[in-house]
Amino acid sequence: MSNARPKLYLGFLTVVDRASYGLIGGYLILNTAGRPLEFHCTTPVRPSRAQQILYGPTLEPYLFGEQIGQSLLSKAKLEPLAVCTDRVEVLAVREYTAVPVALVLPPEGAFVAPTAGNALTSAAGGESGAPANSPRSPAKQWRPDTAHLRPRLLSFSLGRNRLAVAEDNAADRQRIEERLASVAESFDLGEPFGRIREAIEEASGSR
Amino acid sequence: MPNARDLPRDRPDVWSWHAPGPTGVSTLDLSLHVEPLVLGWNRALSRVEEPTVDSVRLIEPPLEVISVKVVPPSVPVRSFTFPEPAPLDFPAQADSTVPASPKGIAGWTAKRDAAATRPASSTRIKPPGDVIKLADRLQYLLQPSLESLLAQRSLEFPLRPFAYQMEGVAFLYPRHAAILADEMGLGKTMQAITAIRLLLRCGEVRSVALICPKPLVSNWQREFSLWAPEIPVLAIEGDQAQRRWQWRLPTIPVKIANYELLHRDREVFESRDASGRAEVRFDLVVLDESQRIKNRSSVTHQAACAISRRRSWALTGTPVENTPEDLVAIFEFLLPGLLSSGMKPRRMGRAVRDYVLRRTQDQVLADLPPKLVRDAEVELTPEQQTSYRLAEDEGVLRLTELGESAAIQHVFELVLRLKQICNFDSATGASSKLERLVADLDEVAASGRKALVFSQWVETLQRLARHLACFGPLEYHGRVPAHRREPILRQFRDDPRCHVLLMSYAAGGLGLNLQCASYVFLFDRWWNPAVEDQAIHRAHRIGADGPVTVTRFLAVGTIEERINRILEEKRELFETIFPDAAHSCRLGLSGEELFGLFDLKFPGGPINKAA
Repeated sequence: MSNARPKLYLGFLTVVDRASYGLIGGYLILNTAGRPLEFHCTTPVRPSRAQQILYGPTLEPYLFGEQIGQSLLSKAKLEPLAVCTDRVEVLAVREYTAVPVALVLPPEGAFVAPTAGNALTSAAGGESGAPANSPRSPAKQWRPDTAHLRPRLLSFSLGRNRLAVAEDNAADRQRIEERLASVAESFDLGEPFGRIREAIEEASGSR
Repeated sequence: MPNARDLPRDRPDVWSWHAPGPTGVSTLDLSLHVEPLVLGWNRALSRVEEPTVDSVRLIEPPLEVISVKVVPPSVPVRSFTFPEPAPLDFPAQADSTVPASPKGIAGWTAKRDAAATRPASSTRIKPPGDVIKLADRLQYLLQPSLESLLAQRSLEFPLRPFAYQMEGVAFLYPRHAAILADEMGLGKTMQAITAIRLLLRCGEVRSVALICPKPLVSNWQREFSLWAPEIPVLAIEGDQAQRRWQWRLPTIPVKIANYELLHRDREVFESRDASGRAEVRFDLVVLDESQRIKNRSSVTHQAACAISRRRSWALTGTPVENTPEDLVAIFEFLLPGLLSSGMKPRRMGRAVRDYVLRRTQDQVLADLPPKLVRDAEVELTPEQQTSYRLAEDEGVLRLTELGESAAIQHVFELVLRLKQICNFDSATGASSKLERLVADLDEVAASGRKALVFSQWVETLQRLARHLACFGPLEYHGRVPAHRREPILRQFRDDPRCHVLLMSYAAGGLGLNLQCASYVFLFDRWWNPAVEDQAIHRAHRIGADGPVTVTRFLAVGTIEERINRILEEKRELFETIFPDAAHSCRLGLSGEELFGLFDLKFPGGPINKAA
């Protein structure tokens, strides 16, 4: 019988919005030392006009979660302890995987520029993004279809990281706390997303 | 009035009115021909309405229904997998020579007052330009930051590296061919060792050969014990049979050898096994002072190129000493075929751009403190060791025989005698310090810089002047006539051929302005740090062009090392108590400490400080 410890993996999923090409998803699997083991990226995804009209406010969860997220997760050979993302829209992928999915929040008080590629321009809930009373917090928008927008989030701290899960998957919080307890203190769960973006840039340029 | 409906319809234009006829009534015919003009709905109503029906089809043929099928598009995915290298873990070395206090460490002891407050940076490893395959490039891009890699592997440093040094490590790490050509004093040794350490610990390499000039072998061993104490290192030495066995040892990841051995053991590198593969192979070969192989026809060059290896690095402060052919020779070792003889310099520069990293002190000025002090520990040559042991034994014997009548003066004389042997062997003139100084001045001169060399003895300076003739040395000490001193200083400042000024501590008085010197060498040490500081300040002054690198020579295993250790301990104690005090405090050795240098008891009498 082998006494080797089971290998543990971490998954990082994000989507980059490149205006001229569309949405490109990237999924990176690391070992607990932060070394890359697998990387998967999609070709650019652009919704058709019909999709834009018909899906309406549900377009983002559809694209980010079902189309891109599900495609990427299904290609991976290794199953991670959890999948982390820096885009709130990607939380929709939780519907298509049994692995808990967490949103990595910026450190407390950090300013986040409200760009399209940023997870934190959420119009729903008050638990993600810059503090609500921050002079820099993005302007709130009200829409009649608010119920279809980004999910309400439950945020929590784990080691040196601030995470959030969708309220609909509140049970994921405990699973994530148990699974990532051993690495949460030493591992900056927000760092790998920069690498993914660079890798997508490199892969896009090589086409 | 009769109703219009009652009018005769056949004669709508004539009507009359008859008054009703009761009695006494006369009748008057008022018939008038009247042609009434009937207008409006009256006329209309006089006609028989015959409505006509026009049918208009309001509904066109059935609308065509267009169904839009929303078919979820398939999202193509590109996938890449990367091997997980098995990391190497090395048990802590039981006989680690790394001292507990960073200040006592041999090596680079830079002042870090402001530098210590620098925020941690994130140094990323970038794929080299010759890596073309996307999967390989992605493997580099997806690596964590260097700082994270080091932290993950629990790699600690005795001193925090500067940002440019981390960039140097990030430059070396992914490269199979590289030249680190930083100016002298910027820590090429540390950067190379850290990169080697990381490669070993991450399992990227398993065997490393480091080739250097003979005087630097022990220096590299000490630097490894400082910057990578857990990595086993072996200096190749002994007779041919021993060396052959040592080269083949699989358990030692890092082997250090000098260039002369490289030539003598060439047959080891050229031997092949049954399948034709080299019997001795390395994942990485590093050449220190790689200008040693600049002559392509030399046996040293051929021996270096004969080593079977996967990665080749070169460390040199002077990649081009005389002509571009020097670089061609180095690249024959690093990457054969990249350069060719007669190549135009500009084209050569473009070709090697991705393989060479060079920073000068000016470029990294923001990272560097104004003054860097480093200890150059050297081991005495065999001749010096023999003379030293003899003199020490004789001297101690004499002191013992003197007994109670032994005075501090006697100890002084012995100490001075031994220090002189540490500089030069009296019989043969051999000097390990000189060998090291020549190597360093090679880089200084090649970089166009100038250096000051201090010694407490004029004879030492005169001897150095003879050996350093190729560097245009000038002397400045008590025996130089007063009227010649100012012209000497002017010549040193203005003449580009004069790279070194040999000065005595006594002559380096106040008022001298030698800011043109970027390097200061203390050939032998003075016991009073204030005197040393004064010497250093000849070059390191407000308004100096750039940082000054100070090298303090120290002969290992000798009186110099023992004196240095005592003074360092005293300095630490003083700074602990008076952290804001300047270094100009008088620190010397007491009588007991002087006698203690030779394990002798102080005979008694008033305790006077030695200096």
